[in-house]
Formats: sequence, C-alpha cells, structure tokens
Amino acid sequence: MKDSCSSISQLLERYFDRQATDEERSLVERHLPVCQTCHKRLRALEGLRKAIKTPVDEALKEETFPWVWEKIEREIRLGKKPSWQESVRSWLDLSPISRKKVWIPAVVTGIILILVASPLLFFKKPPSYLERSVVEYVESGVYNVMVYESEKAKVTVIWLFEGPQNESPAS
Amino acid sequence: MKKRTPLLILVLTLFFAFPPMAPAQVQTRLRVIEASNVGGVIDPSLKDLHGQLGSLFRYTSYRLLRDERLNLSSNQPASVPIHEGRSIEITQVGLQANRVELRVRIRRDGADLLNTQVRLSPGRTVLIGGPKHGEGVVILALSANF
Repeated sequence: MKDSCSSISQLLERYFDRQATDEERSLVERHLPVCQTCHKRLRALEGLRKAIKTPVDEALKEETFPWVWEKIEREIRLGKKPSWQESVRSWLDLSPISRKKVWIPAVVTGIILILVASPLLFFKKPPSYLERSVVEYVESGVYNVMVYESEKAKVTVIWLFEGPQNESPAS
Repeated sequence: MKKRTPLLILVLTLFFAFPPMAPAQVQTRLRVIEASNVGGVIDPSLKDLHGQLGSLFRYTSYRLLRDERLNLSSNQPASVPIHEGRSIEITQVGLQANRVELRVRIRRDGADLLNTQVRLSPGRTVLIGGPKHGEGVVILALSANF
C-alpha cells in the first residue's frame, strides 16, 4: 500500500494538472477513495489553485489594458481605408512609447535649425549697389545718356542728350 | 490641440519652403509727357507725378500726350507708339516678390535708339526723357503695379 501510495503521489500532480494518461488517471481514481493521505493532498492542491486563481481573476476583471484597446483601434483603422488626413495624422502620430523619443529630438532639431536659419531669414545682408540700382544697363548708339537715381523721391531718370551724331535731322 | 500640432508644423514648414508665388502678370503704366517752358499748365492727370517732375526739372508746363496701362506677361513684348515715328517696346524679363525687371527699347524704323533694363518696385517711377518734341522735350514715365 505504501509503495502504491508513493507511486500514486508522483502521479497526483500530473492528474491534478490534467496531464495524466488515461491509464494513470484510472489508477489515481481507483486509489483515491481508499487512501486518505492522497485524497488530502489532492484537496490541498485544489485549495492552492483556488488561492492563486481568485485574486488573479479579480485583477484581470478590473484591468482595462489600454494598450490592448489602442492596438485594437489601430487594427480597426488599418482595416478601413483611411482618409488622407488620417493617413497624415497616423504617419505623424507614433505610439505613446516612442512619441517622446521622436518628438523631443525633433523639436530640439527644429529649434536649432530656426536659430541657425533666423539670421539668414531675418537679417539679410544689405544688397550691393548693383542689386539696389534700378537701371541694370543702358545703351544707345544715338544719345549720350545720363542716369540719375533718387531714393528719396523714389524716381530714376534716364536722360538722353542729343550728341553730335544725332539720330536724324527730322527729330 | 495635441493632435493638431504636427499638422501645424507641416503647414508652417511648407509655407516657409514654398513661399507664395508672385503673380505672373504685371500691370505697367506708361505716360508720355510733353515738358516745355511754354505756358504754365500742368495736366491734372499728372498730379501724382508733379512733385517728382518739379523737383527734377525746370519746365513750367507738363502736358499728357498718352496714358497706357499694359498687362505684361513674362517675355511678351508690348509696343506703344510714342511720337514722331518712334515707339517704345517693354518686355517683362523677370519678376520677384517686390520687383519686376523690364527691358525697355525705344525704336525708330526698326533700329534701337535706346536699349535699357530697369528694376521697378511698386511706387517707383522711371522717367526716360530728353528727345525734343515741339517746343520742349518728351518724357516717358514708367511705373509698375503688382
């Protein structure tokens, strides 16, 4: 009986975990009604399972798992064809974990670029005389030409003097 | 608000990357004026130019001979007869946000009497003058609006 009880007790955990073969299960089931010790051990295992399972089940009921819902929502979004606004948004909108990792360097890079580019954007160097000049070029084979520019009056004068080689006697 | 921020960044980036383009057409005004010392009449339609003309020249009379408004497209020359067989040909050769480049040719019988290129900004006037006309001289006043 003792040897039998010892061999059964090795099978008891497998039986409890429903991993025993049909032969092992029938062996245990035949032994349990006649062995109080094994019967008590099985009860103890059941009590232990209950003690562990109940709080876990309760915790699972209370937990909403936001990341699971996020994943489900994303799957739904991917399932239907998104509009172009949603595509742009989802392209920019990264997962909550990586968002900070991306946006912080992006914002820092943006600030650096603005600081570097602002002198070019807002403090342009004054244009040279040629750039400021209204008259780019002037040429005449008939007249002598004088150019006068007045910044104050915002006017430029191109004055044509009739030289010795006049354009024609009729003019 | 948080969700709109990336879109705002995108819009601002596109705005700075592709600034609003200048219009392709430029309205140019050409006035042909006869300036002389005969009489003391100043044409009422030259009221806006009177200050500039008076500060630059010593003529007593300014008479408007012609007033043309030309819508210039890029590299499309517009020709206007001025006086005594001469004509002025104006071509828009460049356009930036606040400046237009105009090539100006004064021609007679197909030959260039004057060939010049000027940069005009809104409010600026270019006066081309000197050739004799009647008792005085002819002055061309060129301005652009865009």
